[in-house]
Amino acid sequence: MSHLHIPDGVLPPILWGPGLALAAVLLLQAVRATRLESPRTIAYQGALGGLMLAVMSIPIPFVALEYCLTLAGPVGVLLGPAAGFQVAFVVCVILALLGQGGLTVVGLNALVLGAAVAVARPLYVRLAPGRSAAAALALATGAAQAVAGLCWFALLTLALKLSPGTPVGIGRGGVRIGLFAGVTIALWLVAIAAESAVAFGVGRFLARVRPDLLPAAPTRAPAVPAAGVP
Amino acid sequence: MINTLAQIDFIATASHSPWHRASALGKLLLAAGAVLLAVLAPHLRLPLALYAIGWLLAVTSRLPLRLLAAAAFYPLLFALLFIALHWDGSWENALRLALRPLTASLYVVWLAGTTPYPDLFAPLSRVLPRQVGDGLFLTYRALFELLGRAERMFRALHLRAAASLPARRRLPLAGEALGTLVLHGFERSQRMYSIMLLRGHSGRICGCRHYAEASPADLWVGLAALAVSAAGVLLWRMP
Repeated sequence: MSHLHIPDGVLPPILWGPGLALAAVLLLQAVRATRLESPRTIAYQGALGGLMLAVMSIPIPFVALEYCLTLAGPVGVLLGPAAGFQVAFVVCVILALLGQGGLTVVGLNALVLGAAVAVARPLYVRLAPGRSAAAALALATGAAQAVAGLCWFALLTLALKLSPGTPVGIGRGGVRIGLFAGVTIALWLVAIAAESAVAFGVGRFLARVRPDLLPAAPTRAPAVPAAGVP
Repeated sequence: MINTLAQIDFIATASHSPWHRASALGKLLLAAGAVLLAVLAPHLRLPLALYAIGWLLAVTSRLPLRLLAAAAFYPLLFALLFIALHWDGSWENALRLALRPLTASLYVVWLAGTTPYPDLFAPLSRVLPRQVGDGLFLTYRALFELLGRAERMFRALHLRAAASLPARRRLPLAGEALGTLVLHGFERSQRMYSIMLLRGHSGRICGCRHYAEASPADLWVGLAALAVSAAGVLLWRMP
């Protein structure tokens, strides 16, 4: 749910055109924010981008379904918003060049996947104090997936409203939209649960083996003892 | 998906056809133009003509038919979903809605199947910011190695009866296994950066420089571009 896989020609140009422009602006901002980083970091970004693409292609059995992970949450926590958005963009470009997702919707795909990646670390940093790294990573991932899912729904709703001749909310069209929303919300919840559970495992492993890869939670300043208290 | 990708990657490098010998830049421009025309076409005949030209390109590029069909029909499922949501009783509208993504996908598969990835990424990396351009190369390089490791790891989990565990235990277990891949990716990136420095990395991965070198095979790309342009001019307004 955090990547669209919507092919070319389905969304109206009035939607994908501004999406492409907005993604380009955000990409430039992200590049500016990380311009002082060493090429070593770019190699790490490449490795995590490759991992995202690899896990997207391996279905994991989940109850009666098979689910393809995105790892958007853990990658966002490990890289941060700016570097994470760049990785999301690169992943979407490579997917589009494989015929998965469409060239014209690269911008929108990057915005949806990038939304999940970009919010993950700020959420993790807020959630980490008082929790284990695994729990914080799982919660941040779940919230990031929820944000990406909301963007996904907003885009599809806009697409249906902006397309000429769309029967949204009229007669049987309304029923179709309702059925579509019901199915996708159920899948969305499955996605949130699966990604969070996997992120929990990733966090548990990294906290044990290489805790320095996880961002440090802000340390609380020690309470100043009140005057007269020993 | 990845089997398809691996096959396309191999064929793009190892196969021989006039399209494989043509310059990447010409093919990229042709594919981008055809995709834009297909996506913006107001009536049915233009996407139909572009789809026919796309199949001609794809078949003559010696891509295996099964692979071509798998990749080219990939967007059909999502297109059908959208057609169901848009259905107004008009078969013409439904066909146009289906043809747009199928045509676009066909041209992209033809492009990716006839162009090795360094040639394909090189022109893109010229217009993208440096970090993002470098990211394209490094991500693609990392993909196949990590994919092999991921597949072996999930197979090992399967052999150790991880599939019989309930989902609430299986998914965190898969996550721990993916944690090893994160760690491997981190160590690999450190190693790769050292290798890049040893090889004289100057702060930018340039890709190959012959992506724009014209060859006699580019005449075929020119002819195809002419056919696509003619279809666009003649059929744009034709219902």
